[in-house]
Amino acid sequence: MLDSPADGAWNMAVDEVLLATAAETGQLTLRLYEWSQPTLSLGYFQAYEDRQQHAASRKCAVVRRMTGGGAILHDREVTYSLGWSAQGQPGRRPDFAWLYDAVHDALRAELAGHDVILQPANGQVAGRDPRAFLCFQRLSPQDLVLDQAKIVGSAQRRRKSAVLQHGSLLLQTSSCAPELPGLRQLQSKVVDIRLLQQSWPARLAARLGLEMVPASLTDDELRQAGELMRIKYARPAWSRRR
Amino acid sequence: MNPQELLYAKTHEWVYLAEEGGTQVATVGISAFAVEALTDLVYLDLPEVGRTVTAGESFGEIESVKAVSDLYSPLTGEIVAVNEELREALEKLGEDPYDAGWIVKIKVSDQTGLDQLMDHAAYEKLCEEEQA
Repeated sequence: MLDSPADGAWNMAVDEVLLATAAETGQLTLRLYEWSQPTLSLGYFQAYEDRQQHAASRKCAVVRRMTGGGAILHDREVTYSLGWSAQGQPGRRPDFAWLYDAVHDALRAELAGHDVILQPANGQVAGRDPRAFLCFQRLSPQDLVLDQAKIVGSAQRRRKSAVLQHGSLLLQTSSCAPELPGLRQLQSKVVDIRLLQQSWPARLAARLGLEMVPASLTDDELRQAGELMRIKYARPAWSRRR
Repeated sequence: MNPQELLYAKTHEWVYLAEEGGTQVATVGISAFAVEALTDLVYLDLPEVGRTVTAGESFGEIESVKAVSDLYSPLTGEIVAVNEELREALEKLGEDPYDAGWIVKIKVSDQTGLDQLMDHAAYEKLCEEEQA
């Protein structure tokens, strides 16, 4: 599913619908999307007030995610989400930790085709602050790094036999998070986002042993997303709930 | 508590049922298998005492490194105790999941969900299947 740029509330509402669809029907969905304006997404458990410590993003729109981890400044990046269900997927551990590796491995392989060589963070985690405000200043073994800078990170929300995993690939530094380098800064590399959006899904499908077909939200999913946006993600009470 | 004498939900919560003052009280935690699968725990959101919970529905949330998971109530009833010490000592969930790592106590109001719980042998089989 390839979506047009949208605001944070809509993007998070659609991602939650993909989790619900996976949980209820077993259907797996990969969504690639963009943001209509630079947006700060807070991790589910982060305190809203903590955004005050990050001056560069104070004026940006904000939304709270349903996934864990640190805050992400969504601007010059590729964003994906994946609604996955363990139904009909025997032999895969239900803790879904393996899904990080599957998605990131496919992305590494795809980027290698663009002469961008990323590595798993594995041994570089020590010394990083696990509670840093920005997700891309934290590091866990599955993250992908280039020159010690985190370039790809993902987070999950698990619900019984289903999971939502979403994540970002930093293409360029954003003026709203100037401390984070992107591929452009680290390798003088301009990756064609459209090309990546076209070719990565097929590589991921092969990695997962699945066939992917182009899709869009059903009328019912659109209705659910609209409702979730209205009662949850667009409401200040949700963004400020902690 | 002896893990072999507990009941288990498919979602990996354990249950110890006892009679207290003529009512059934369920002590609930999460299994050692689940804690290990979650890996590094960072945050636990616990319910308030007095809240009514329903079998199969979420009563709390737990964050491990970059994943948020729901905790599901195995039975229906009222929360009568919450292990507040866990908020500042999440490591107890891993170090002592069946005693110091208990999460809530529920005064059971009806038998909904009881027939869905497994004994230890059935739960071990489930874990083996999930590890396959």
